Amino acid sequence: MTDSANRALLPAGLRDILPLDAEHEAQVVGRVMGFFAARGYERVKPPLIEFEDTLLDGAGAATASQCFRVMDPMSQRMMGVRADMTPQVARIAVTRLAGAPRPLRLCYAGQVLRVKGSQLRPERQFGQAGIELFGSDSAAADAEVAVLAAEALRALGVPGVSIDLSLPTLVPALLAGLDLDAGEALRGGLDHKDAAAVAASGGTAAPLLSALLASVGPAERALGILAGLDLPAAAAAERDRLAEVVALIQAAAPEVTLTIDPVENRGFEYHAGIGFTLFARNLSGELGRGGRYLAGGAEAATGATLFLDSVLAAAPLPEMPRRLFLPSGTPEGTARAVRADGWITVPGLEAAADPAAEAKRLNCRHYWAESGVKSVE
Amino acid sequence: MDDKLVIALPKGRILDEAMPLVRAAGIEPEAAFDDPKSRLLRFATNHPHIDIIRVRSFDVATFVAFGAAHLGIAGNDVLMEFDYPELYAPLDLGIGACRLSVAEPADLAATDDPRRWSHVRIATKYPEVTRRFFAERGVQAECVKLNGAMELAPSLGLCSRIVDLVSTGSTLKANGLKEVEVIADVTSRLIVNRAALKTRPGELTGWIERFRIARETADAAA
Repeated sequence: MTDSANRALLPAGLRDILPLDAEHEAQVVGRVMGFFAARGYERVKPPLIEFEDTLLDGAGAATASQCFRVMDPMSQRMMGVRADMTPQVARIAVTRLAGAPRPLRLCYAGQVLRVKGSQLRPERQFGQAGIELFGSDSAAADAEVAVLAAEALRALGVPGVSIDLSLPTLVPALLAGLDLDAGEALRGGLDHKDAAAVAASGGTAAPLLSALLASVGPAERALGILAGLDLPAAAAAERDRLAEVVALIQAAAPEVTLTIDPVENRGFEYHAGIGFTLFARNLSGELGRGGRYLAGGAEAATGATLFLDSVLAAAPLPEMPRRLFLPSGTPEGTARAVRADGWITVPGLEAAADPAAEAKRLNCRHYWAESGVKSVE
Repeated sequence: MDDKLVIALPKGRILDEAMPLVRAAGIEPEAAFDDPKSRLLRFATNHPHIDIIRVRSFDVATFVAFGAAHLGIAGNDVLMEFDYPELYAPLDLGIGACRLSVAEPADLAATDDPRRWSHVRIATKYPEVTRRFFAERGVQAECVKLNGAMELAPSLGLCSRIVDLVSTGSTLKANGLKEVEVIADVTSRLIVNRAALKTRPGELTGWIERFRIARETADAAA
């Protein structure tokens, strides 16, 4: 390997983001945060790294296996680099902002780092942007965060947005109602929607669980199937809540495709109520996810996080920037005037014999000559 | 990317059993699909928005997991080996039935005591499943990955045990091997990409339903 290739190699899952893409990402973050801010969500900014025991507390425990750890030489305590920002925002809400009036609406954007990439998201560092809503366990709060996340994607121009609602508390409630435990085989079968495995390992709950599996799909159809099931009381309450949230989302965002997956559990292990995942047509990865949890183990909270790398892949490409080459010696007044017209100015540092060729070389499609904007073509 | 629905089917043994179900579900590939001389890999069907691709059975799972194909047919041996989180297996098609088993030379099987193992060397096409299976028994499995003719490995001293698919057991017998433990019963499943199921729910649940009816009809006729 050459020396230059050696220097270019980055660790797995990490990459440099180059011109145009980096600008695109910054613009997308700006637009998403503007969208959330305009709807009453106030921005907070937690640190990149903090003590492990606060970072991995409560719902943060889900990211324990994904967290880079270092020892703090100052306090001699273990610190973790955030693998997810939600636990940090929840910490802020229940500590420093414990006295702020509820419902408390917060938003955030930042980079996270993970020990391992997943199959569909090999990136180990990527951007998150999200909202959290504290102090309400109402169906209206569940619907608000799901709708806002989906509408933020639509506002970016992402086509074919869909929300997949899940009920991670349903299967445990159902099994508890029947005095059963979810074994590993059963959990795996449910995760892979493997009808044969669920039928084989579901025991006395197998018929109910198989019916739940069959209900995975479009929201209307799923609610119809779920309504016809004879569920234990706690599970039935979860189901009724789901129907309420579906109605609210459909009323607020009728263009968004809505599906229901009552048995989805992966990534929702620490959720305390309705969860959701955001997808877009023809994109194989998740664009974001969210759901209800207990902030600090006690306060009702729900939120949504968008994964910016997937969002960027789904969002339409930005327009090419209008770069204008200004040959050396162009008066500053001219530069200011053309910038006011929306041009990006690229000044020449030395006199160029052929300004058109120099403009082209510097990736500008226009240049300034004889008191006017000329095309390089 | 266009909006076509892509169905991935496995080459070989399972395809002959799968095609009657595919046809009963109302999908008829173009004539080149049945022409052994055709070099095509992607085939049109009687539905203008549905294409079929024909790939190795292990690759069916990979194409569907990454969303390059939306539906597919794969054995649970393949699904267990990859354990792709993006794959759903909503329907057992009941075809391609066999077992994923541990086998060893018949004379070794007569004296072997598996409780005493701490380490075994195994030739297999399924290193992940094999490692997991033995790890659960507290045994470390060193896997030699082979893509075929596993039955040769013990007689040539490559290893003493193999993990492979067994249907009748006649290949094992012909090579002096004995099936000593069944890891899993295998049948082929209809598999579907998770994101595709979420973003095109009506279309995909419709096809799953048609395959379900095709399977039930085939069962009733049998």
